[in-house]
Amino acid sequence: MATAQAKLDKESDDCSLLPLVHDIIKCMDKDNQDVLQELGKLKAKIQEAREQISNMPGIDSSPLEQQQQLATLREQVRTKNQLLQKYKSLCMFDVPKAS
Amino acid sequence: KKVNMAAAEKSTKERLLSVLDDLEVLSRELIEMLALSRSQKMPQPGEDTQILELLVQRDKEFQELMEVAQQQGKVHQEMQLLEKEVEKRDSDIQQLQKQLKEAEHILATAVYQAKEKLKSIERARKGSISSEEIIKYAHRISASNAVCAPLNWVPGDPRRPYPTDLEMRSGMLGHMANLSTNGVNGHLPGDALAAGRLPDVLTPHYPWQSSDVSVGMLPPHHGNDFGLEPPGHNKENEDDVEAMSTDSSSSSSDSD
Repeated sequence: MATAQAKLDKESDDCSLLPLVHDIIKCMDKDNQDVLQELGKLKAKIQEAREQISNMPGIDSSPLEQQQQLATLREQVRTKNQLLQKYKSLCMFDVPKAS
Repeated sequence: KKVNMAAAEKSTKERLLSVLDDLEVLSRELIEMLALSRSQKMPQPGEDTQILELLVQRDKEFQELMEVAQQQGKVHQEMQLLEKEVEKRDSDIQQLQKQLKEAEHILATAVYQAKEKLKSIERARKGSISSEEIIKYAHRISASNAVCAPLNWVPGDPRRPYPTDLEMRSGMLGHMANLSTNGVNGHLPGDALAAGRLPDVLTPHYPWQSSDVSVGMLPPHHGNDFGLEPPGHNKENEDDVEAMSTDSSSSSSDSD
């Protein structure tokens, strides 16, 4: 989990593709043969980003929907807590065990 | 606005993937355009800058979305914790529900039993009989030798430890069998005796034929205890009860 989080942080830190595109254009300007290698890097980066996205948790809904789900869950916990509190404050009898 | 609405409905994952697709297409287009313009030595100003601007915009959008996705990941963690809490509360509630059901069952049983008890109390109250009445009735039964034969009973003695035919007829069983025909009345054991169906040895001397004989046959202190009234008196049982209770008390005092 921690490593996944670290990976995510790293991903978001350098998720921009612009530096790679810039490198490619530079290589093209210089007629450098490394241009194919740079192109491969860009491809790999895009593929990596795709995999990263499909493995990210909690993004199957929009932020708005997620907030609604969160609110629903909080409400559920609150209601259930209230119910339990109500039951516990009831006058309970000691149930004699059937002998 | 339309784009924003659609974006709000779409999941973050879908938006990220579509922006990533855009980035891929745009960067490829830009590179191809640059390569083409380089080979043809024909600079095409304007179009490439437009694509470049779009690329930069999409890249910015992508980074923002990644930020959003990370936030959503954190919210997701919180939601998982909340879900665990909900599960725990659910099991607590189910446990309580089980206990309440158990209590309900116990209470329902108790109420049912109490109601049954009340019913039987009410029944007993409605059909109450005084103890004096019961004792009177017991006397009546024992006076007619219906429960126990006299000690000096011998075959042929019409006093018997079982109900007479007449008594059987007047009882509930008699009514059930609807034995209303009076003609059957004749077959009383006493009549059988009178008709001489019993062996001769048994016929001659019966203790009830003369009171002197009966007293002579019994031990002196038992003489009157068995009230040797003729069996014909059974029909006037009520009088007998009174008579017997006084008799027995007087007889006991006599024997002393």
